[in-house]
Amino acid sequence: MKKLFALLSLLVLASMLLAACGSPAPVATEAPAATEAAVTEPVTMDFVVWSYGIETITDNIKNFQELNPNITINLKDYSWLDYHDTMVGAFAANNSPYLLYGSDHWLNEWAAAGWLVPLDKYCPNVKEYSKEVAPYALQGMTYNGEVYGVSYYADTMDFVYNDTLLQKAGFTTAPATLDDVYTQAKELKAKGVNEYPIIMAWSQKEGAFPEAWTSLVFAQQEGGNALFDAELNPVFNKEGSAAFDVMEWLRKVYTEGLLDPASLSMAEIDQVKSMQAGAHTFTIVPQYNMAELNKPGSGDFAGNFKIALMPGSSQSTVGYVRFYAMTQKVVDAGPDYIAAACKFMDYFGGKTNGDYTVVKRWAVENGLGFAQLPLFDDAGVIEAFGKWGDVPTIKQQATLARAKEGLAPWYGSWDVFARSEIHKGILGEQSSLDTLNNMADQWNELKAAQ
Amino acid sequence: MRIKSRALIKSIFLNLLVAILIVYIAGPFIWVISASFQGENELLKKPPSFIPKSPTTDNYRYVFTGQVPTSYEVKGQLRSRISQEARLIAPALKNSFIIAIFVLLINLLFATPAAYAFARLRWKFKVGIYNFILGSRLMPAMAIAIPYYVIIQSLKLMNTHLSLILVHSALTIPFSIWFLTLYILNIPRDMEEAGLVDGCNYFQVLQQIVIPMILPGLVAASAFAFMTSYNEFLFARFLTTSITSQTGPVIISSISGNPDVSYSLISVCITLGMIPPVILAITMRKWLTEGLSSTITFR
Amino acid sequence: MSIIRTANGSLHRNVSRVFERFYPYASVLPALLVIVLFTIYPVVYAVRISFYQYILTKPNSHPFVGLNNFQDVITSYYFKNSLINTGIYTIASVTGVMIFGLIVAMLLNTKIRSVNALKIIILLPWAIPAVVAGLMWKWIVNSDFGILNGILYSLGAIESYIPFLADPVLAKVSLIMAHIWKEGPLAAIFILAGLQLIPNEFYEAAKIDGGSGLLVFRYITLPLLRPILLVVVVYETMTAILTFDLVYVLTGGGPADSTSLISWFAYAEIYKFLNLGAGIALSIIIALITLILIILYMRALKTEDTIS
Repeated sequence: MKKLFALLSLLVLASMLLAACGSPAPVATEAPAATEAAVTEPVTMDFVVWSYGIETITDNIKNFQELNPNITINLKDYSWLDYHDTMVGAFAANNSPYLLYGSDHWLNEWAAAGWLVPLDKYCPNVKEYSKEVAPYALQGMTYNGEVYGVSYYADTMDFVYNDTLLQKAGFTTAPATLDDVYTQAKELKAKGVNEYPIIMAWSQKEGAFPEAWTSLVFAQQEGGNALFDAELNPVFNKEGSAAFDVMEWLRKVYTEGLLDPASLSMAEIDQVKSMQAGAHTFTIVPQYNMAELNKPGSGDFAGNFKIALMPGSSQSTVGYVRFYAMTQKVVDAGPDYIAAACKFMDYFGGKTNGDYTVVKRWAVENGLGFAQLPLFDDAGVIEAFGKWGDVPTIKQQATLARAKEGLAPWYGSWDVFARSEIHKGILGEQSSLDTLNNMADQWNELKAAQ
Repeated sequence: MRIKSRALIKSIFLNLLVAILIVYIAGPFIWVISASFQGENELLKKPPSFIPKSPTTDNYRYVFTGQVPTSYEVKGQLRSRISQEARLIAPALKNSFIIAIFVLLINLLFATPAAYAFARLRWKFKVGIYNFILGSRLMPAMAIAIPYYVIIQSLKLMNTHLSLILVHSALTIPFSIWFLTLYILNIPRDMEEAGLVDGCNYFQVLQQIVIPMILPGLVAASAFAFMTSYNEFLFARFLTTSITSQTGPVIISSISGNPDVSYSLISVCITLGMIPPVILAITMRKWLTEGLSSTITFR
Repeated sequence: MSIIRTANGSLHRNVSRVFERFYPYASVLPALLVIVLFTIYPVVYAVRISFYQYILTKPNSHPFVGLNNFQDVITSYYFKNSLINTGIYTIASVTGVMIFGLIVAMLLNTKIRSVNALKIIILLPWAIPAVVAGLMWKWIVNSDFGILNGILYSLGAIESYIPFLADPVLAKVSLIMAHIWKEGPLAAIFILAGLQLIPNEFYEAAKIDGGSGLLVFRYITLPLLRPILLVVVVYETMTAILTFDLVYVLTGGGPADSTSLISWFAYAEIYKFLNLGAGIALSIIIALITLILIILYMRALKTEDTIS
C-alpha cells in the first residue's frame, strides 16, 4: 500500500511538472510499439455504451473502421440509468459483449466477477497511456494493481454558483468554506433573491449522489482517508470527522430553509434546468454540465455560471472516470480479437498520430472533462473550455481531485444503504452520529461477508 | 314534483362526479399534450403555463424530419446537443403495436377454448392444470428475467418480435383464462345445453352459442392482453438490443434519462405513444358497452 | 357429458365420443405449451439457485447453503420496513382502485350523456406504460416546474411550492395517487363487463318491489359481481405487491427508503448487491406471501365458482 502511495505521489509530481512546462504542441509522441500484433482476419465485435452522444460515437466508429478495414464494430446502447443493471443481467446470463463502457464505481464488482479483464496485460500501449493520466482517474481504473481501461471521459464534481444572483445579494467573491456558503445563502434568502439558495441532486436513485456528498467530505479534510483507512475500515463515524461536519452542516442548511427540500428527490437533469432558470444559486454538479449551463441562449443566466473550488479547508473533490473496457470474451476469442481490441483502445482512448483524437473531440465538442493531462495544454481544448469555464480553475480542481474511497466489490451494495441513511440524517429522522454509525456498521457487515 | 327535483339533484351530482373523474384521469394527458407544443424554455418557467403561450409544432417536426427546433439553435462554438434518439419513437411504436396485436390474437385464440373447457367440461387433470396455469404468474418478474433471457437466447430469438410475442403471451394468457373461466361460469347454461341436445359438438357450442354471450368479457380480456403487451417494459428492455424490436416503453424510458433530450420531446413521444391504443379503444368502444341484458332471458 | 343421438348410427357416435374426450385437452394444449415453455425451466432454475450461494462477484464458489439465503433476507436491514411500506401501499392502492373501478363502472353503465366522453378517456391511463405514468406524475408534482404546484399556487391554495417527492409521507401519497390513476381503468373495464352480466330483469323486479338505489346495490349488484370482484382484487393485489416500474421512476424508493417496496429490494439484491441467491429467495418469499393472500381472499369472498 505504501509503495502504491509512493508511486502515485511520483506520478502526481511528474504530471504536475509536465503540466507546468506545458508547451502548445502536444506531448512528444512515439509510433505505436512494434510489439503490438496485427489483425490477420476480419473481426467483428460488439461495443456497448450508454446513450450519450450516439451520433458522435457512430462517427468515431466509422473513422476507426476506415483506418482498420479488418475490424467491424457493432454499436449497442442502453440508457445510462439502466446501463449497470442491464449489463449485470447480460453477464449473469452468460451473454457478455466484447467491448463496453465501464465506470470506476463498479469496476471492482465487475473485475471481481471476472467479467472484465486487465487491459495492460494484453495491450502494451496502455502502460504508456497510464503515465499521462490524472491520478484520480488512474486509481479509478485500477483493480488489484492492474489497469482495466483507457478513459474517454473523466471529470470532477464542481461547486458551481450563479454569479449574477450572488452579486445581487452583494457578494463579489465565491464562498471558500462551508461557513461562507451558509452566510451567503442566508443573505440570498433574506434579500429575497432565492427561496432556497442551495440545490443538490440527491434523489435516492440519482447516480451522482454519493459523489457529491463525498466531495463535500473530501473538501473538509487535508490528505486522504477521509472515509476509510488503508485497510478499508470506516473512520468517519465519530464527532468532528469531516463526514460529521458535513452532516451537521447539511442538517443546518436544511432546517433553516437554505437547502431546497426537493433536493432529496431531484435528479441531475432537473437540477441543471433549475439552475438555468435561476431558481437557486449554489449547487454541486459534474463539471461537464457547465457547457450546458453556459450555452448561449439556454436560459436567462447563460454565461454567468462559475466554478469555485470546493468549499472547505483542502478544497479537494471527487474525481471519477469512465473508460473503455474489454471482457473475458475477447480473450477467449483468440489473438486476432485481442489485437483488434487493442487497436480499438488505441484509437478511442489513446493516441492516433500523437493526438488523443477521440478524447479531444469529446472535450471540444461536448465540453467533457478528460483524464489525459496533456490535453490541458491543447490550444483547441483551452479555447473550447474557455467558452464556459475558467481553465486555470478547472485544471486546479482536477489536480486537487481524488478518487472515491472504498471502491471495493461491495461498494454498490453499501451505496444503496448509505443513500437512505444520509436522507434520514438530513430529514432529522436520526442524528448525524447515528447516521454515520449505521453506515459504518453496514460497511463492516458487508466487508466481513466477503 | 319531489321526484323530479330528486332526479335533478341526482343528475347534477352524477355529472359533477363524471367531471371530476375526467379531470383526474385526463388532466395529466392534457398537460403532456400541451407541453409537446411548447418550447423548452417556456416549459421551465415558474409557474408553467397550462395553455401554451407561444405554441409551436417544432418538436413534432423534429421527431419526424430531424429539423432541429429553433429554441435550441445555438449561436456560437458548441454544437447543439439534441440526441437523435427521440426520432426512434415512430419505429418503436410500430414494434409495440405489432407485438401487442399478435398477443391479443393469441390470447383470444388460446384462452377462449381453454376457458370453456375449464368452465363447462369434466376431464382428468382439470384442476391440476388450472392451478398450474394460474400459479405460473406468482413468481416476480425479476427472479425469472435471467432464465427467460437464456431461453430466448437458446431459441435464437434475441431482438425479434417473436420473442416478445411469446413472452407477453405467457404473461397474459393465465389471467385471460382465469377471467374468462369465471365469466363463463356465470352465464346460464340453458342455451348451451339446448345446443348440445340438438346435436352440436362442444366446438360448435363454443363458437355459436357461448362466444356471442361472452362478448363483453372477450373484449375486456383482449383489451387487457393488448395493453399489457403494449406497455410491458422489463422484458422488452432486457430482450431487445436495437430498434429492430425495441418497443415504445423502452425508447421513452431511455430518452427520459438522456440529458440531450428535452421535456418537450419526451412529451411528443408520450403523446404519439398514446395514439395506437386510443384508436383501438375507439374501435372497440361499441363492443365494450354493448350490454348483454337483451340476450339473456329467463324461463 | 351428454349423449348425442344421431340418426347415423354407432360409428358416428364413436367418433364424436372420441372427439368429446380429447376436445378439452386439445383446447388447453396451445395455451399450456406457451406457458410451460416459460414456466418450468425458470421456476426450476430459480428454486434451485435459492438454495445455493450465488454471488456474482464470487464466481467460483457456489456452495449449497440450504435455507441461508432465506434467513439472510428475512433478517436483513430492509425486510421489516419495506414489508410494512408495501403493506400500507397495497392496502391503500387496492382499496382506492376498487372504489374507483366500481364508481366508474357504474357510471359507465348508466345513460348519462357526459359518460360518453368518459368511455374513451378511461382507457388513456391504461394506454401508457407504467414507466411513462411514473414520468408524467413525477413531472406533474415536480417542485420547481410542476403543473400541480403551479395550479395550487395560482389558486392561492399554497404559499410556496410543495416538494411532494422529497417528503416521506407526501411521496407515499403521490405514489398511491399515481397507482390508482394507472390501475383504476383496468378495474373499471372488468367490473363493467361483470355489471353487464346482470340481467335487467333483476333491476326491474327490484324497482317494482320498491327497492332504493343503495339496497339494490347491496343485495343485487354486489353479490352478483362477487366473482368478478374477486378476480380484480386478486389481480390488483398482485400488481400492487409487485409494483416496480412506477416506483422506480417516480421516487427511486426515496426519500429515506420511505417508498422502497419489497419488490425493489428483490431487484436490488440481484442487480445492485449482485446476490442472485438472495434475490431469488426474496422473490420466492414474495410469491408465497401473494399466494397466501390469494387463498385468504378466496376464502373470504366465498364464491361457489369452482371448476370442479
